Parts: sequence; C-alpha cells; structure tokens
Amino acid sequence: MREQIINSIYTHMKDNSDVFFVTADMGINLVEKFQETYPERYANVGIAEQNMVGVCAGLANLGYRPFAYTISNFAIHRCFEQIRNDIGIHNYPITLLGTSTGYDNAPLGPTHHIIDEWGVAKSIPQIDIYCPSSVSYAARLVERILERNKPAYIRIPKGNHEQPVADDHIVHIEGQKQDILLVSYGNLVQECLEVRKKDPSVSVLVVNRLRPLDEQVLKNALVPYKKIFIVEDHFPESGLYGSLCEFVARYPIQGRLISLAPRDYTMDVGTSPKYFFEKYGLNASGIARSIEQVLKG
Amino acid sequence: MKVNPIAVRQSVLTMLYQGKASHLGSNMSAIEMLVAMYSSVDCKKIQENAKDRSRILVSKGHCAAATYATMAHFGILPMAALETYHKDGSVLAGHVSHEVKGVEHSTGALGHGINVAVGCALGMRSRGITDAKVLALVGDGEIQEGSIWEALMFAVHAKLNNFIVLVDNNRISSITNTEKVINMHPLAARFQGFGLNVHEVDGHSVRAIQSAIESIQTQDKPGVIICNTVKGKDVPFAEWQPIWHYKSLTDEQYREAHAHLESLKVNS
Ligand SMILES: [Mg+2]
Repeated sequence: MREQIINSIYTHMKDNSDVFFVTADMGINLVEKFQETYPERYANVGIAEQNMVGVCAGLANLGYRPFAYTISNFAIHRCFEQIRNDIGIHNYPITLLGTSTGYDNAPLGPTHHIIDEWGVAKSIPQIDIYCPSSVSYAARLVERILERNKPAYIRIPKGNHEQPVADDHIVHIEGQKQDILLVSYGNLVQECLEVRKKDPSVSVLVVNRLRPLDEQVLKNALVPYKKIFIVEDHFPESGLYGSLCEFVARYPIQGRLISLAPRDYTMDVGTSPKYFFEKYGLNASGIARSIEQVLKG
Repeated sequence: MKVNPIAVRQSVLTMLYQGKASHLGSNMSAIEMLVAMYSSVDCKKIQENAKDRSRILVSKGHCAAATYATMAHFGILPMAALETYHKDGSVLAGHVSHEVKGVEHSTGALGHGINVAVGCALGMRSRGITDAKVLALVGDGEIQEGSIWEALMFAVHAKLNNFIVLVDNNRISSITNTEKVINMHPLAARFQGFGLNVHEVDGHSVRAIQSAIESIQTQDKPGVIICNTVKGKDVPFAEWQPIWHYKSLTDEQYREAHAHLESLKVNS
C-alpha cells in the first residue's frame, strides 16, 4: 500500500507545484525518483525527525503541501511536541507518512513495534488519521488529503491487499446474520475477512479513516449488532476501541464492545507479525476463539 | 525607518508592568537584536503578508513583549495593541503567537522556531524568492536543545545562505548562568565546526548586528551572529539577575526603571 501512496504523491507533483516531499533518510528504491524529477521539491533532512517536522512547517508557511516520510514510531513519538506546536496549533496541511504499523517489524523488538502511535496523534485535535487496509483505498488517499487541506497522518501497513475493493472511509461487509461484527483497520482486516470466509454469518467493518469517524455511517453500521469486536494492532485505550467507547457513550448502541488488542510492550522476538497475532489472539483462529467464548457467555 | 531601542524598551517595560508579566530579563536583552532584524527587512512586505517577504522567526518565544513592541515601533502592529499584552481576551500572549498579524510562527517551547525558519529558507529557495531572507532569533539557553543543531546541520548541508541565526547571548538561561549549566565555550568555534559563517558582535549595537546580517548574505553558507547581551539590559536592578526571568514589576520598580529609561533616552 506504501507504493500506491508514494506513487500518487509523485503523480500529483506533476500538476500540483505545491506538493513537496521530505524524507528523514528513509525509502530506499522508492524516493529516489522525487529527487531526480523534482529536486527543488524534495529534501532529505537526514536522521533528524524533529527537524523534518519543523522544516515542513516552514515549507507550509511558504504555501507548500509537505509530505514527510519516515517509520511511524519516529514520525509520531519522536516529534510529538513538533506535531502539536508546529503542525497542530498552526493547522498546517502537512501529511506525516508513517511506514510500518503494529508488528510489521516483528523481529526488530519493542522500539519498532508500532502499537501506540496513532493514539498519540489522536490527542491532537487538528490531525486526520488514516490507516489504509487495501490498495484501492491507498490509491485514492493522497487525492483526498490534498482536497481537505488539513494536517494528516497516514499509518501505512506493509502489504498490498486487494480486499476490500470498496474505497470508502468506512466499508461495511455485511454477514448473513446481524449478530457478530468485527471492526478493524490496516493489516488485521485480512484476519477478519478470513474469519468471515469460514463463518459467513460474521460481518466486518473496515475503518480506513480513524479520525474523523464518519459518525452517521458508523452509527448505522453498529446499531444492529449484539457483539462488536474491535480487532487492532494498537493499544485499545488510545486506539479504535477507545474511540468507539467514546462514540457509543453518545449514541444509543445496544451491542457490547469487546477489545482484541495487545495491552503492553513485549520483549519477545517474532520472526513475522503472525507470531504476535497468535500471541495476542489477533489472527483468524484467535478471533474465532474469542467469538466462541463470548457466545458461550 | 529608524527606531530607537530605548523607546522600544520603554514600551516593553510598560507592557510587562501593566500585564503583570514575567521574562523581563530576556525581553530586555534582545531589543537591539530585534530592532536590527526588522531594520534589515522590508517591513511593508511583512505587513502586507507578501509572498516574497523576508521571514523573522522568534524561536525564543518568551521574548514576546519585545517582539510585539518592536513590530509596533516599525509600524507592523498598531501601538494600541500593545496595551492588551498578557491580558484577558487578547491574542498578544506571553509567548509569540501567529494570531498576531505579522508574526510568522507561534513559539514558546524552545528549539522549534529555528527548524521552521530552515523550512522557510528552503521553501523560499524552491519558490525562487531571492530578494528576501530568514532571520531566526534564538536564546543562548535555547541552544542546549538538540533540535537546534539538527536545524544547523541541515541548513549548512543545503547551503541556505538566506538563513541567519541570531543568538541572544545573555549568558543566563532559566534559573542560573548558562556556563554553570552547560558551558558552551568556545561558542563561536562550535558554530564554525558545524560549518556556519560566524560573527560575534556587541548585541546592544544595532549597527554592528545589521552589518553582520548584510555580510552573511554575500556568502554561500548560512550564518550565525552571536550577539553578546546583558540580560535585563537597562533595568539596573534586573541586569544579570536570573530571577527576572520569573518576577513581575512592582509599582515602585516600574517607576524606578521607567525613570532610568527616560534618562537614557534624553542622553541618547
Ligand atoms: Mg539566555
């Protein structure tokens, strides 16, 4: 999905002379074309993420639409005060591009497990937050962001998922029964779709835009269900579970919200995200197990 | 336009007194620097928000009173606005705010404005704006922030010769003398080591600062001007006293300082 996003930024640079691409020395075999084609609208600021955000704010002062690229944890955690002050308070239309989500970097250890970053970004009111779950959503995302003229953060999962094909901010894939709903985003959507393949009674709600939530669509989607599982590779309190708890406190949703998510950092090595999905019950079999338990009461 | 720093200092004193505000020391030390900065740019373009204006970024955001007062003396802000400083409902906060017309960027946390200034300098070059510059005012305590050096490394690498940093070297940071906290001696050599074009001047000489700004612009690299200043300058009981980062003026102190500035004005 990273390729769709990066390539559409590159495409927009042709006709939109305000688009500026900044990297903190990330993106090998991906960002070189920016420097070759648009050297005056490309900067590699080095391993200096705080400076990257400040530089983007300065570029925005000049009317540019900067896209700032690095690994998600560096983009958000390292630069929190820069994001708050230099982007948020100024409401500058800067887009932070964070590569890797959840356990994408599984064997690299807890500093590179990105399970708590968008919740940090969520605490700043101005920032729109996206986490594409399919290539079709990723392909349209930059165009949508350029239209909105606001600060944004894209949490970019590793992978190129064809499903779901629908490119709405919220995609509701209805099951045969209005009983169990799995709500998810990013790579874990695939696990939810796997559950549904085995049990067509299950419904899936894909949330590609984590903020703002389209409240009307969300309300209509949640109302019928009795058990609503929020499956995420992020701490639940600051994640989508937290957002939905806040949402159902304002709307009369009868269903029970159940979180499937990691709740702490881990020092475990896993050679792939699968290890951690298994550990925290986030893979298809783990989700199915949780459904079974909840139905048993 | 010729602005007398003593007149600005008087405005600042009154703002701090009437607004019951702190940061007297760092506001007073930076006044000649601010006067030199605004003297070196086309203020009309700043006032008109022209795309090709020079950018002034006050990275040490706590010298807001001095910034606003200087802007008012240069005609960018109405003088009457200064009366609202640090008061209910005003946008003239105790740290520099971009809600104030003519201010580029809100600051307050240290080690932010300089990075934004570098982005402005890069953006101006990309936009082909050559007849303008970016001036960033930082504190000598502020340069202990690591982000400052990230900004400088990149500015040198990118050869941003439209970018000039002015260091308010008043040698006091928040609670004590900077050399007791993090001794940055030899400061000029440190900046030189980073590849900058370094000038060191009397920070209370508008002319010396202005000529340093002019000479840096003719070089092919960014510059730093170390401006040696006195924290609390021209307020005799506050000079060199760290506590004046925090205190506000009593009626008696205000009268005393005001009278002293009057005498300096008469003699200048
Ligand atoms: Mg100082």
